[in-house]
Amino acid sequence: MKHISLLVCLILPTAAFADEVVVIPPQKFVYCTVCHGADLKGNRNIEAPRLSGMESWYVARQLEAFSTGWRGTHETDLPGIEMRPMAGALSAAEIVEATRYVAAVSSPPPPSTIGGDAARGASLYQSCAACHGPRAEGDESLGGPGLTTQNDWYLVTQLKNYRNNVRGHVAEDTYGQQMRAAAQLLGDDTEILDVVAYISTLKQVQEN
Amino acid sequence: MNARNISRRRFLELVGAAGGATAVYQTSLALGLMEETGAPASLNLLNVGKARKSVAILGAGMAGLTIAYELERAGYDCRIIEASHRIGGRNLTLRSGDIVDEMGNKQVCQFDDEPHLYFNAGPARIPGHHRRVLHYCKLLGVDLEIMANDSRRAYTQDPDAFDGRPIQKREFMADARGFMSELLYKAVNTSAFDAPMSDEDRARILEFAVAFGDLDPNGLYKGSNRAGYASGGFLKAGELKGTLDFSELLKSSFWRYGMHFAETEDWAAPLMTPVGGMDNIVKAFVRHIRSPITLNAQVQSIQLRNDGVDIVYNHKGRQHKFAADYCFNSIPAHFIDGIHNNFPADYASGLASLERGHLSKIGLQMKERFWEKEEIYGGITSTTQEIGEIWYPSHGIFKQKGIVLGAYLFGFSRRTRAPSNFFEKMTPEERIRFAGDQGNNIHKGYSGYIENGVSIPWGRMNHMMGCGAGWSDEARTQYFSRLQNPEGRHYMVGDQISYHTSWQEGAFASAEYALQDLDKRVRADMAAGAGTV
Repeated sequence: MKHISLLVCLILPTAAFADEVVVIPPQKFVYCTVCHGADLKGNRNIEAPRLSGMESWYVARQLEAFSTGWRGTHETDLPGIEMRPMAGALSAAEIVEATRYVAAVSSPPPPSTIGGDAARGASLYQSCAACHGPRAEGDESLGGPGLTTQNDWYLVTQLKNYRNNVRGHVAEDTYGQQMRAAAQLLGDDTEILDVVAYISTLKQVQEN
Repeated sequence: MNARNISRRRFLELVGAAGGATAVYQTSLALGLMEETGAPASLNLLNVGKARKSVAILGAGMAGLTIAYELERAGYDCRIIEASHRIGGRNLTLRSGDIVDEMGNKQVCQFDDEPHLYFNAGPARIPGHHRRVLHYCKLLGVDLEIMANDSRRAYTQDPDAFDGRPIQKREFMADARGFMSELLYKAVNTSAFDAPMSDEDRARILEFAVAFGDLDPNGLYKGSNRAGYASGGFLKAGELKGTLDFSELLKSSFWRYGMHFAETEDWAAPLMTPVGGMDNIVKAFVRHIRSPITLNAQVQSIQLRNDGVDIVYNHKGRQHKFAADYCFNSIPAHFIDGIHNNFPADYASGLASLERGHLSKIGLQMKERFWEKEEIYGGITSTTQEIGEIWYPSHGIFKQKGIVLGAYLFGFSRRTRAPSNFFEKMTPEERIRFAGDQGNNIHKGYSGYIENGVSIPWGRMNHMMGCGAGWSDEARTQYFSRLQNPEGRHYMVGDQISYHTSWQEGAFASAEYALQDLDKRVRADMAAGAGTV
């Protein structure tokens, strides 16, 4: 217990300049922020997704997926390949610690960076809603993560990866296989952009 | 003629008559007629004296160190904030026990602890026209030595030619020139040349061809001692090697990429390197800098103000704030998107337009200097295998062991020329095996000499994640000037903000540009009498 309370102390937000709040990462997780950015806000230039706002259960599941090779093994998934050794270095206990750090950070909502027809995306999203929730808020019981806190460019990349069998290609990866099948419902890149554009509008609703 | 309508040319003539060539040169510079190619003999920065301005320098690489050195001498209070565990950035010389902080693959350098057993994992060579680097080496007392970048005694090797056999560079080049000269000779001699040409010119071209290719008097190429003798030359007459097969020679891609390498802009012989390791430049700066350098300090936020820049950084689990009057930022541009900032959108877009570079090197400790038995001393073997190059150390000749560069990769396949990061994906052990296997195709028993090795994939190094920032032509046109010039009081610097990315000279040039800009504005502010700068 002492160990846990110490961790909590380390990750308390500290006030910064200009109304910024930056959480100090536990020393052992500083390297996460090299690619995922301050407050794990994501970095498009490194194709590192936003982790702030991600559910703990989903973070843990993805770290395990990288570690076992369900993710980060397809030869065209370069960012995934870069991530894999980082996840592989974590023990089960460290994965729990990592999820706590992720839970402690927050960052401003991601900006919309892609085009796409949100109205068309709304009808496409209907099939997504079953697992990810009607407002893309996520549903732990069905294993579908929330989508509104994620960078839109990352959602586009991952939908393409699922559709092209770059992600979800391992038989034991049940959730990945489900999502790979679901992504086949999106016919082309335009539909991917449309559905992500719609998810971005849900983010704005949540802000309001 | 009055002074007002005197031509610039006439003016320079007058200056020349009065002050000689030097005066003309200086005056031309002043008139902006001649590009400044020289070292910053002195930046001549205005000393801000009592105004004492605070400067945040982000990154302790060559640009950051230069800026600290120059600004503290001009009365500024500088503080260097460095994310990694060491000073020097990509100027990295590895020796026994050094840590290679690769993401997910931390290595410890296992070289024997001897002065000549080091590996320049970043910059390794300095050409004579990189005057800014040389200026600081001279100024700070860094001893340099000549480094053989090119050895005609080393090999070229191409799996697609000569059954993959290594061919001595001198032999390849002598024969390539010989055969091409013979063709030229024949073409000119038989008037196959359609160009209008006097008999005199024709005769000279034939002589040129004979000299260029070492042809016989009849214009035929039958081998040359430029290829090295097969035997003899001392106690009996030297015996020429037979010529290589012309058709095989054409199959090799050495003539496409490698043959002219040592004639190119930055690689023309001779090159130089600091005696004992490139990081002697870093150490020299550190000896001459008083400004505090905080290591393991990762920047989390950069906020521009009208009259300064606020920096938030994490150092050993504590958050620190630094409200600086000016900021010089050499953080790799690809990290900026992950750092809280209030940069204008176009400035941020410009920074995001730079691409991560993927240079990688591997250094191998060889238990014996076997290459010296093959009469190779320094220089580089070029191969179209994926390892690309093997560098033999120019220093430590006849010592027992040596550190060889066993692969130099640029983020694309040497075989297909397509982008590839295969080397980054390997484990350190796999990389050593990979280098050893391909080296075996060049030197018999090569892998058996390897005792240990360190690989440095810069695209995977902690707090770097790249080397040799990529600028597309469009990004250059659209953003280079934008990024080279400050946004408020924030200057982006480093080799990334130059036309020489991945070279130290690029970092020095960028620092010099930024310092000159700062000096100009500070002088203007002070002249305006504001008192505050």
